[in-house]
Amino acid sequence: MIRHVLRYPSARAACLILGVVAVLATAGPALAPHDPLAQDTAALLQGPSAVHWLGTDALGRDVFSRLLAGSTVSVLASLLSVAVGLLLGVVPGLLSVFLGKRFEWINLRLIDALMMLPFLVFAIAMTAMLGNGLVQAMFAVGILITPVFFRVSRAAALSVANAEYIEAARLMGASTASVIRRHVLRKVVPAVAVSAASMTGACLSIVASLTFLGIGVVPPDPTWGGLLATDLANLYDRPFGPIAPALLIVATVWALNALADAMRDTGTDNKEKPA
Amino acid sequence: MTAAIDSSRASVPDLRLGHAKALLRQVGSTLGIAVPVFFVATLITFLLGVVSGLDPAAAIAGDAASPKTIARIRADLGLDLPMPLQYLHWMGEVLRGDLGTSWFNGVPASELIFQRLPISLSIAGMALLAGIVGGTALGLVAGVRQGSRLDRATTLFAAVVSSLPPFVVAFLLILIFSLWLGWLPSSGYVPFSEDPAGWLAAISIPAVALSVDVVADIARQLRTGLVGELSENYVTGAVVRGLSRRRILFVHVLRNAAGPALTVLALKVPMLIGGAVVTEAIFNMPGMGKLAADSALRGDVPVVQGTLVVSILLILACNLCVNVLLGILQPASRRRN
Repeated sequence: MIRHVLRYPSARAACLILGVVAVLATAGPALAPHDPLAQDTAALLQGPSAVHWLGTDALGRDVFSRLLAGSTVSVLASLLSVAVGLLLGVVPGLLSVFLGKRFEWINLRLIDALMMLPFLVFAIAMTAMLGNGLVQAMFAVGILITPVFFRVSRAAALSVANAEYIEAARLMGASTASVIRRHVLRKVVPAVAVSAASMTGACLSIVASLTFLGIGVVPPDPTWGGLLATDLANLYDRPFGPIAPALLIVATVWALNALADAMRDTGTDNKEKPA
Repeated sequence: MTAAIDSSRASVPDLRLGHAKALLRQVGSTLGIAVPVFFVATLITFLLGVVSGLDPAAAIAGDAASPKTIARIRADLGLDLPMPLQYLHWMGEVLRGDLGTSWFNGVPASELIFQRLPISLSIAGMALLAGIVGGTALGLVAGVRQGSRLDRATTLFAAVVSSLPPFVVAFLLILIFSLWLGWLPSSGYVPFSEDPAGWLAAISIPAVALSVDVVADIARQLRTGLVGELSENYVTGAVVRGLSRRRILFVHVLRNAAGPALTVLALKVPMLIGGAVVTEAIFNMPGMGKLAADSALRGDVPVVQGTLVVSILLILACNLCVNVLLGILQPASRRRN
């Protein structure tokens, strides 16, 4: 699967970008040349220089260091949101196909209701009212993206639920659990992987929106979204300011989308010409 | 949306009924789904307040208050009731149009919300309009002229935009139109009743920033719909009968091809209303989203719940409209089968 995906040039570029982001996320805080929280009142709102590669903000903090230090939180938050969404979406999504009409009906109505919630407003309300921390933000976003995973895994499971080989397995006495494990998951995992990749990108952008508003991560802790917010406040002094954090977010989201597309394309290729 | 698809399927035998009757049925079945969804969504909203464990009584009573005073305030606010009763009480008030009063300044939540609603509705509504117009135009051109340069440009645009968070688009637009060209203001809001031109100038950047994503998605869906529909036999038949290209496209093909685009549009509305929060913050507009964010940070539960209820109602209303539209369009596409 991985080799097939890497045939696409866009997927190779995406992997390269994601590799860089992964390095930033794991080693970013250690690589930072300055203390991301240290204020230097002698150097406020500077442009890029040899000392401060991306200049300094209104409090004299080194922007490049803050960008590196903020990577961990930004990336981790979106990954964990997706993990929460996966857990809360895929399990009921699969079970809704196998556990009978009543369970299915309740789940479908719950998912309908979740989709009708105003996404960001609800994420903000939930995070802020439960104590405004990263864990809260993660759960809020994770719960709100649950419908995506629910629908994808349910659709994939529905496509095989009535297949003859599953009927055969049942006749031979296989339990629901083993049918899911041995036959259904094989169909569900690729579909879910594709949407997990693109949802990680979406979550990165959502988490950036939240931290941009000061929700989830409280200043002065740096995040990509928070950096954008301070850059916006100083837009007249540093019009180039938002470019670096924005570029980082856009590149990561693009890479995840490109990877998802490549994965989807290899999936459909295989279906067209079964080997 | 499953709801839309299910109900349209259900309306197949209705073709023999009058058009109006079928439409009424469509509205009825959509409402049948919307009402339970409304109650579940508001239940989630209510539970959010309960789970937060916020209790304003001590803060309202002040430092020197006796436990008795605090208990009285809690009783006034209805916080001493068991939880299901609290929900029923709250729901009853909501259905009568009373969203409670702010725990912080005692102003009715509905008053706070309706002061700010025009701002959010202006941005989200204008973004919706821009998204529909722009998306339809691009989708039409790309779908009709498949493989042309414009088609490829549209596809590229859609791919790029889907990876841009709306606030990044807002930055770019501010940089270009406010800082370089100086045509539009980068912050503040002007009410429509005071100065229509100023209103349009104030909301145009936020609305456009919010709409790019909608433009891209609608264009993509409409293109796919058109490409599929244009290869159908009835189109060849229409060409043979000598109908003009324009008539074939706008009278026959478009209504059949619009289904997926409309369904995506319905799903975009919650994003638009939610996305207005960030846009309002960027452009420093005192809209409903900003109210929700500020109130949530202060722990002002009634106001947060009020904004959520109003947003949910707006979203459900938009969904109803889209489903009715789908109902008007669908019978024509069903006749083919």
